[in-house]
Parts: sequence; C-alpha cells; structure tokens
Amino acid sequence: MPTVTFLPGYRKATVPEGATLLDAARAAGLSMNVVCGGEGKCGKCQVYVKDGTVSFDREKYRRFFSDEEIARGACLACQATVAGDVQVEVPAGSLIEEQKILVEVPGMKEIPLNPTVRKYEVRLEPPSLEDTTPDLARLLEGVERQSGPPPNRVYAPLGVLCYLPQVLRRSGWHVTATVALVPGGYRLSSVDEGDTTGRLYGVAVDLGTTTIVAYLWSLVDGRILATASNYNRQISCGEDILSRVNFSRRSGLTRLQQLAAESINEALTTAADAAGIDREEIFEVMIAGNTVMTHLLLGIDPGYMIAEPYVPVVRRMLSTAAGRIGIAAHPNAGVYTFPAVSNFIGGDIIADILATGMAEREEATLMVDIGTNFEAVLGNSDWMLSCAGAAGPALEGGEVLFGMRANPGAIERVRIDPDTLAPSFSTINGVRPRGICGSGLIDLLAELFRACVIDRTGGINLELDHPRVRKGQYYPEFVVAWKEETSIGKDIVITENDIKNLIMSKAAIHAACMTLLDAAGLAPTDIGRVCFSGAFGNYLNKENAVTIGLIPETPPERVGNIGNGAITGANIALVDRRRRKELDGLARRITYIELNADPSFMDRYTSSCFLPHTDFALFPHVQQTLEACRARQGVRSWQA
Amino acid sequence: MTEQSDEGLTIREVRLGATREEGGTREVSYVIGGERDLPFSGDGAGRPLVALEICDDPRFWPPVVRDYVGDLANDTAEWARAAERTYGADLVRLNFTSTKQRGFDAFDAIAATTEEVLAATARPLIVEGSNEPELDSEVFRRCGEAGEGERLLLGTAEADRYRSVAAAALAYGHAVIAQSPIDVNLAKQLNILLRETGVPQDRIVIDPYAGALGYGFEYSYSVMERIRLAALSGDADLAMPMICAPTDTLSVREVREAAPADQEAMAVAWEFYTAYAAIVAGASIVCVRHPLTVERLKAALEG
Repeated sequence: MPTVTFLPGYRKATVPEGATLLDAARAAGLSMNVVCGGEGKCGKCQVYVKDGTVSFDREKYRRFFSDEEIARGACLACQATVAGDVQVEVPAGSLIEEQKILVEVPGMKEIPLNPTVRKYEVRLEPPSLEDTTPDLARLLEGVERQSGPPPNRVYAPLGVLCYLPQVLRRSGWHVTATVALVPGGYRLSSVDEGDTTGRLYGVAVDLGTTTIVAYLWSLVDGRILATASNYNRQISCGEDILSRVNFSRRSGLTRLQQLAAESINEALTTAADAAGIDREEIFEVMIAGNTVMTHLLLGIDPGYMIAEPYVPVVRRMLSTAAGRIGIAAHPNAGVYTFPAVSNFIGGDIIADILATGMAEREEATLMVDIGTNFEAVLGNSDWMLSCAGAAGPALEGGEVLFGMRANPGAIERVRIDPDTLAPSFSTINGVRPRGICGSGLIDLLAELFRACVIDRTGGINLELDHPRVRKGQYYPEFVVAWKEETSIGKDIVITENDIKNLIMSKAAIHAACMTLLDAAGLAPTDIGRVCFSGAFGNYLNKENAVTIGLIPETPPERVGNIGNGAITGANIALVDRRRRKELDGLARRITYIELNADPSFMDRYTSSCFLPHTDFALFPHVQQTLEACRARQGVRSWQA
Repeated sequence: MTEQSDEGLTIREVRLGATREEGGTREVSYVIGGERDLPFSGDGAGRPLVALEICDDPRFWPPVVRDYVGDLANDTAEWARAAERTYGADLVRLNFTSTKQRGFDAFDAIAATTEEVLAATARPLIVEGSNEPELDSEVFRRCGEAGEGERLLLGTAEADRYRSVAAAALAYGHAVIAQSPIDVNLAKQLNILLRETGVPQDRIVIDPYAGALGYGFEYSYSVMERIRLAALSGDADLAMPMICAPTDTLSVREVREAAPADQEAMAVAWEFYTAYAAIVAGASIVCVRHPLTVERLKAALEG
C-alpha cells in the first residue's frame, strides 16, 4: 500500500491505492479544512504535491487555484487519490487543528487562538427513503466530516433537538452547528440556519468584589471587539467579602447570585452593544473571581468558608450553561469559572498566575497582588507556593489622613530635595492635588527616609528645624503641599501615624514574601522576576518599593507590573483551551501556606516593620545607597 | 551594615561610672559585658551587678518598700547612701518619679537631686528620667548635665522616644538603656536607631523589658536568650550587655494579697527569684527595689 507523507512535520499514513489524500490526512491525524464535507465544493483543502503523483482532475477544479498554485502542484486533498508513494505539503490554511491565529492578549505575549467552542458550517443531503438517517445523526456526521468530533461523543441537549428538524429543513440543509468541548466530551450548543461561522464570540470576565471587567472577543479571528466595566451590584449587600457572606447566610444567597449575574450582564451588554453584536452569539464566558465571588455567582453557599474550619464547597474549575445562572449570553453558552487554591487564593489569583506566565518558566517568579488583602505566589514551572493576608488599607490610601484612591488630583509621584526638603510632585491628570494615592505614599516614604526626615521606624525627626516638619495636631507631620498649592484649601500632610500604618502594611507583604522564600529554601537573590498585579502596581516606583522594603530586594529591571492580572488570565483561558485545561492541575499543585499558622510569621513581620528591614543583609544594595546618600548629606552617620 | 566580625562574637564591654583618673568622682567604675558564652558556661564575665532602685518621690513607690525603708524614702540622697553602705547594692538606680506628677516643671530639682545622689554615693549611678515626651528633653538634659563626666547609665530610650536620651548621653558622655517590648527584632531596631543617632555601641545597654515571674517573665527570658544567641552568632547590633528591671514584681497579686505578716517575705522572694532568673537569662545588671532582695541576691551570687 502506498505511503503518504505530509509536510511539514513528516506525518505518514499508509492507505490503499485509490484513497483520497483527505483520507490519508485523517489517517495521519491531520484535520483538514473541509467545509463542504469533502465534496470538492469549497476548495479549502488545498495541498501541494512535492514528490510522487496523485490522480487529480486539475481542470475540473481549476477555479480554486491561481497559476502559481498550479505550478506548485496544487490539488484538493478531498479529490486527489493516491496512486503510489507521495509527499504532500499541507499549507497552514488547509488545516483546522494546526491553525494558529496568534492573539494579542493585552499585557501578554502572543498566544494561539484555540477556543473550546467551534462552529461547523455543514451542507447536508436531505433524507430520503434510501437514507433515513435521523436528523441529529445526519448533522453530526456532517460535523465529523468537517473534522468535527465523532458523533457518539457529542451530547445534544433536548433544547437543541426540539428545534433541530425545523432549522434543518427551513435552511435547505445548510446550517452551522456550534459545538463546544466540555468535560468528558462535546456539546451541541446550537444549530443555526445558513453560514454563521463568522460570528462566534466569547467573553472574559474579571468578577471582582468591587468591579466587573469584561472583554468581548471574536473567537473566529481572535480580536477584542469591546471592553466594559461596571460596579459589582452586590455592593448594595455589603462592601466587603465577609459582609456579603453574612448577607447570604441570612438567606440572601439567591439575591446575591442574581446580582452577580446582573453585574456581569451589564458589562456584557455594554460590550456587545459597543461591538454591535448579538449577545445570543456569545458562546463562551470565562470568569475569574475570588473563591467567595465564584461561589456566589454559581449559587453555592459560601457560608462554611467564614467559620472554622473554613472550607469552601468546591475549588475545581466549574462549568455550567449560561441559561442556568442567568448570564445573558446564548443559553447553552458554556460558563467557566477559574479554580481556586483555598478560600483566600481564588480564581482571580490563578488568573494572575496565568497572566504572569510563571507556571511556564524555569526561573522563580514572585507575584504579589496588593489590595486591602494581599496574595503572594512564588514559584516556577515545577512548584508553586502561595499565601494571603491582610495588608490594611494604607497602601490604597485608606487610614491615611490625606490618602485617596488613584483618582484625578492624587499625588502619584513625589521627590524630596534632601537639602532643602522641598518636595516636587505630580498628580494624576496634572490637576491641583487633593490627596495622595498609594504610589505617592510609597515615594514619600522612601524620599522622607532618604532625606532623614524619618528614622527607620518611620518616626518623624521633630528636631529638624524646617517649616515642613511640624508637631501636628495629633501626630508629627510633614507638609507635602501647602494649602495654596492644593485644591482643597488645606495643607496636605503625611503624619507619623500614616507612615507607621504604611510601614505595617509593607511589613505584612514583605514578611509574607519572606515566608514563601523560606519555605522554598530560596534567598531574595534567587527571584528571577517580581510581578505586581492590580492597579496598585501601575504607577509604582520600583526602586522606592524596594527602598522601603515592600518586597525583597530585587534589581528594578526584574520588577514588572501585569496590570489587571485577573482579566488577562481570563482572556488567556478564554482563547486558549490548552492553557485552560491546565488550570485545575495548576491550582492543585499550588501549596497554600497559612500565615496565621506559621509561628515565624510574626517574627518576620516585626523585623519587616523597619526601613527597609531590621536585617540590613537582606537589603545590601539599598543599604549601600542609603549610606552614600547620608554621607552626602553630612548627617551624623552610624559610623560615628 | 551588620558587622559579622570575630569581634561580634563577644558581647561589647560597656564602662559605667568614672573614677577620678577617668574624669569622674566614683571610687570604682564597672565594666559590664565581655561575655563570649551563654550565662554560667565558659569563663563568663564578671559577677552580675545588683542595683537597688530608689526614687525622688515615694508616692509612686511600692508600699512594701516604703514600709521597710521608712523615713529614708523622704531623703533621696540618704536613701542612696544607705543603698550602697547599708544594703550593699553594687549601684543605685535613681528614678525620677517626681516627673509623673501632673504639671511637673521642677527641672532645677532634677539637677540638684542628681548632684546630691552622686555626692552621697561612691559607685556608678543609673538614672531613670521621665517617661513623658513633653518632659524628656529637659529632664534628660538636666540630669545628664549634672552628671557630666560620671558616665551615668541613662534610661530609658524607646523606639518612639529615644532622641532626648541619646542627645543627653552624647552631650555629656553617658551610656543609654535601650528598652524594647520583649522582642528580639525590636531590640535590634532600637539599637540601630541609637547607632544612627550617633550613640556609640559600647554605650548601649539592652533592657528587654521584663515582667514578674509568672506574669510574663517567661517571654522576657526567651527573648533574652534569643538576643544573646544572636549576638554570639555575630549580630553586632545585639551584642550589648543586658539590664533587667522587673519592676512589677512587688505589685503582683501574691504580694498584694499576702497576709500582712508574710507580705515582706513574699515580696522579697518574688523579687529575688525574678531577678535571679534574669541573671540566668544573661542580665549583667538586675534592678530590684526591696533592700532585702539585694542582700539575698548577693549572697546567692557570691555563695
């Protein structure tokens, strides 16, 4: 029997003489693009004969080829039959499985478009007395001919079967079947009249406690069509996670489930309207949310998570149909939620990890997601450790007298002249300042420290004779902006109390990082990369973050920011089913370290409550820079 | 940078008091520190010193001590003299309890009392100034100035109020007690703060803060051990001798509620065992308030 070799890749198949190249390709495990089902009608299965001969009527199918293609030996795989050993080159466009549309996920390198949901345009022979194959089997056989899944693996929901006969006949047996890969097989999500293959959409969602972000994708060509964000409507039932869980315990679970779905629908609708598409053509929704939010969205009772022994109901990846939880996509659209590691390391963090690409690298990456609570993950392609804790609101501007979120008018960058103590700062949108946001606070801390206005515990040196350094009403303070410069008619100051709150926040995060490093048996110098996730990292001065000891000492060029890692991760998992499939395994192999149960954590925390740290050996570069800086200022130094 | 030299393996020596040859008026000066081993192992350094605490305003002093010393409590200088000559204390720790009263402003008295006590004693002196940020600066300046040249041990510096003590110590050549709340890291942090203010490391004595035996002293004990182990492993910022003043000892329930006839014995016993435990943990100086405790400690240490 002749052997057919397919290039590139040298896949081989031995087939009987007279078999088509398409048969050979299938035998070799290649999925050719055959929209017409191998009838020689679509011209999509072009291949080039490199060596050997095939039997093919070139003139009959001349219309599918250019002169150049003819010259290269082009033929249609479905119509060319094998006469002897032959070598065939398969262009990328003729393959389905191998097609690689590289997708530009924001904040991520290119990844292949490989969604779990596909559309198959099929033209079917109408049934006859000679061929009484049932409608469903007929459709699924057509799908299989298009390199779709084998019929016996496709589950057809009753809802689809009820309208199938009408759609097939009304369309003149030309329909598009939407088939999704689901755990354990495939699901026939929809059958539509005519060719709708150009319209297949998916949505990635970051289901945050406060905000929802949605990205609407075309899963045909891997483009982002629109984005939207809005508040989580559950806020009306409580600001924070704990109050939401308590609300649900007071029999409000259904309400919270509805609100979560409505919030997602709001974003989804905004995006769909902006893109001018029908929500019914959204067939895939990928949702990254923390463990409690995920439970709530799916209507699973989160109540047992907040009381001893703190167990979630489920941590694996879940999927359901949009219609079952009230998501305004196609009712049979698959809704997927990210798996979690623990109550505190939820799907949003798994999405962060996906966004960093750390699970695919050999070097160790430290990922830190900072909010009122922080999560930290350390690891590489082999291992991963995680922990979570409370950082307090200081780094987001809370519990700081003039602290504010990163909104217009927030001082976001500060420098202080070490000689004159005159600050120079910039604000968001360049308007007059009305407060200081997280990045500005970190700059201030580092700059005040360098200028010796504060000592290593954050105490303001009131012995400095300078108008900006003063006693303050309750705490010593430093004037960042005089009232004439501000838009609030008050001096903007940072108090010693603010500084101490900031130091406690940074200490909690640093101590957590050190706990992970110690558990991994690594030193700070072993960290290949540090990634900040979340809005916090956007304007952060990396050097200052290290100077104050927020993170272990790392050269600034190794510190990066992945932005909203939850949405990036959701985008990746939406478009690339290979990565999505790995998520459960990823989540399972992440070890969660309970900081409260770690007796050395408190010790690490206390030693981190110092600028940059009680153990200078952990910050050799910072220490060196400081000494140089202080020597220049002629401050009485510790060499005395 | 943290020095990790061989020198770090020895606890720094701190000299207290100055003889005439050394520019002061003391008959003796003491050197504490110098240990290379854990307490009661190896060669060890000199015998731990026992300080008797007195105060300039006995209203803020334990009744069990006031009852014992009687009228002496009203004459600070005589009390100090008796501490050395009658009760056999190695040195006196003078507490300016007068600064605790509301609206205190008798700064001249601080200087005068310091001078009187120095005149009444022949050994090095520990002076405990105010514990009120508003007063610190002036109180430490006055007692520091009055004791210039005498190499006092001035207390107490804490992380949020160390500049005044440090300034007085630097200006008048005294050593400083650095007290942190029962934590090895906080102890180290304070020592770094003092160092960065310019206080030489051989003029710092660590007070790890100590509760009474059975009332938290166990924590102090383990922190003292950690401090000493860190120092002997080369952490120069912790290589200072330690002073221990478990001052709550005389007001624990067992003492307060003891039958009148037993109260004194109970007070002394409690103070003795607490102080002795502190010595076992590595203290170079223990401060006690009951004169009988001094006697018992010295007997135990010398016996």
